[in-house]
Amino acid sequence: MDKFKSVILFAGFGCFIFSVLLSGLYPFLITDAKVERATIEELASHVLPDFKSMSDSWPLAFDQSFARSDEVYTEAALVAIKNEKIEALPKELSPPARAEALKKIGDEIDALRTTSDELWPKVFAEALELGRNRYVGDACWHCHSQFVRPVANEEQRYGPVNTTEQDNNDLQRPMMWGTRRVGPDLTYEGGKRSNDWHAAHLYDPQSTTPGSVMPRFPFYSREGFRVVRKIAPKKARAGYLDPNTGIIVRREIFGSKADAESAMGEIVEEEIARKGLKRENSGDAEAITNLEESYWVEEAVGPNQKGLSLIAYLQWLGTWRPEDTREINDE
Amino acid sequence: MTTDTPKDETIAASNGGRSLVEKSLVKAHIIAALAFMVCSMLVGLIISFQFFNHNPLDGVSEYLSFGRLRMIHTNQIAYGFLVNGFVGMLYYAVPRMTGRPVLGKKLGWIIFWVWQFLIFMVTVGLLMGRAQGVEWGETPTGFEPGTFRMNFLPVDFLIEFGALLVAAQFLTPLAKSVHKRMYVSSWYISAGIIWLILTYVMGNTLPEWSLAGSSGGATVGLFIHDLVGLFVTPMGWGLMYFFVPIILRKPIWSHALSVIGFWALAFFYPLNGVHHFLLSSIPMSVQYGAVISTIAVEIVVTTVVVNFFATMWGRGAALRTNLPIRWFYTGMVCYFITCLQCSFQTTLTFQEYIHFTDWVPAHAHLVMLGVFAFWILGMITWIWPRLTGCDWHNRRLNQWHYWLSVIGLVIMFTDLTAGGLVHGFMFAELAPWMSIVDSLKPFWMIRTVAGLMIVIGQLCFAWNVYKTAMGTGKPYDYRVDLVAIEEK
Repeated sequence: MDKFKSVILFAGFGCFIFSVLLSGLYPFLITDAKVERATIEELASHVLPDFKSMSDSWPLAFDQSFARSDEVYTEAALVAIKNEKIEALPKELSPPARAEALKKIGDEIDALRTTSDELWPKVFAEALELGRNRYVGDACWHCHSQFVRPVANEEQRYGPVNTTEQDNNDLQRPMMWGTRRVGPDLTYEGGKRSNDWHAAHLYDPQSTTPGSVMPRFPFYSREGFRVVRKIAPKKARAGYLDPNTGIIVRREIFGSKADAESAMGEIVEEEIARKGLKRENSGDAEAITNLEESYWVEEAVGPNQKGLSLIAYLQWLGTWRPEDTREINDE
Repeated sequence: MTTDTPKDETIAASNGGRSLVEKSLVKAHIIAALAFMVCSMLVGLIISFQFFNHNPLDGVSEYLSFGRLRMIHTNQIAYGFLVNGFVGMLYYAVPRMTGRPVLGKKLGWIIFWVWQFLIFMVTVGLLMGRAQGVEWGETPTGFEPGTFRMNFLPVDFLIEFGALLVAAQFLTPLAKSVHKRMYVSSWYISAGIIWLILTYVMGNTLPEWSLAGSSGGATVGLFIHDLVGLFVTPMGWGLMYFFVPIILRKPIWSHALSVIGFWALAFFYPLNGVHHFLLSSIPMSVQYGAVISTIAVEIVVTTVVVNFFATMWGRGAALRTNLPIRWFYTGMVCYFITCLQCSFQTTLTFQEYIHFTDWVPAHAHLVMLGVFAFWILGMITWIWPRLTGCDWHNRRLNQWHYWLSVIGLVIMFTDLTAGGLVHGFMFAELAPWMSIVDSLKPFWMIRTVAGLMIVIGQLCFAWNVYKTAMGTGKPYDYRVDLVAIEEK
């Protein structure tokens, strides 16, 4: 049975190892070995505005989604906090005391900003990794490629041809080039569309793309309630806006109706105060009732942790494009 | 085979009186294979409705979402149907070819249950969204991608363990064969088992934990293709070289040709992998190498095709009278078409248009269903009455099985290929994405109809297999199916 040994050794092991050396190790040596593979931390070091704005759009979901994500603030959120604190200052403060209090508030905001700046990349890295894991686990990559080729007008359609440097990072391990396009290529998806578009599209693809054959992913959303108000009659232009649709007042999706209603109560009170109406004045009663009736709470959906991280990943795609060292490819 | 073949009595005595073939194991693996095949095809049928927005499971549950079910469709065919089918046939072929029983009957049952448990866990893992991002290797690693944080049972490593048991089970009789010469089937089967282990180790470690970018792409390509080329193909060829001469009652046309085929397969097939990612950032030298060796493989394939048709020479009547031979013949015709198609579609000219389109699923269905599944189904059709001792419950149902499968496959293949061309050309001329999707919907509807035909065919067969196993009251007389030797 000498042939048995030679079959096992030469065909079984020999030919296989030869092929791995030739089509696995050799491409590695002349391409990827020359560039350092980027870690997820490096990829997340530049936090995208699209990601930061998610914490403004869906603060409740965002704060619960990632480790320490409740400690990061966008610039807009910091301004809001600052204004809130300034408004809360006692009115009767003397000018020097007020200046001191303002300085203290400023310092507090600066401290928040410093922690935020440190934490943002960590939160982003976690979101990217979770989003990639969704992308892999739910097999997005079976219908969407991340692989622009230099043929078939793909550069016109999608963008620059993929380089080996661009794909040599930890989010491409295993690599997500894909082999089939039932949906479009996603190499440069980042920044092409808004977070809201992605949230709506994942919830029901046909709502943004009529005729789309993409499956619905309502599991990426959490159901809840949000506060809306009636469109002012003079602004409800005929045929342009339906006067019965609500305008979103706060984008937050509340888990329970009671939470949403209490938030609505606060908003109504603020509005009453802003307009100088007083509940004790009987003359204002009608105006106040009108105001209260123009606000209501409606059912709504917004992305949950899975949705937020997947949108973060989609918005990141194609934003990381290291320096092109293409000549090693053309040799 | 040759004159130095020992007598049956000598063989039995040298094995301590153990029976050569463990029929119960063959049966068990066949039943498991058919169960997974029907399950996988039903899943495929259901998700095909997604392509014209009529998927009943769309948005119903995260666990039954399209992407996850799609991976169950492919993985159950690969690891549930093909592996079970091949292993079942090996339990029949290897002891008969070598004159030695397999390593152990108990071991056989351990392998059987371990393997079914693992495929079940693969299914559970995929439903839970724990897939690995490697095509055809979505079997969960048990770790989050690229890390060592566990999130599931490490099924990949257990499959590796199962494959080692399979190797011990079959390489033992192959190494201790009573025959002095090694028949070509043994070559294919021995090497195929080793290749399965190596391929699986490579595909489930390198892309996941070490290589990214273009070399990651290259190894993923290697895995996709090696699983087909270095496991499914050698097993299929090995078993065909075993069953065809037995059924036709004549030796294969040329043993030398088949051995040339073996060495050419061993050399060229593993180099094919990168052709799954042509026009990518993988170095062009490697891409051209893959293209050339893919075209070279077609020459290899020709040896098998020629050998089969030359062996068929003079036994043409068997096509009418013998259903297993008709399955083999159909599979061989499909194989020739597939491989001819391969050598064209691997060129960069074709790749420009057909990559990323339905041409590829058409090709995959032609290979996996039209060739290897047809061969396995032919083997099961031949072997099942011999295992149960009962004649077929209903022979007409087997004809329905054949014709529904074949017609369904032909429709599916032509339809998807045409759809792929429409997609490719519309894409290249910068048609808006949604207009491409709208143009493809009719093709996708026809695909579902074809899939329905195929599934009904398999259900006919599964029912027939079940009723036959339950006992038909008619003892099987093998002479009914005997291929007539035509005297010249």
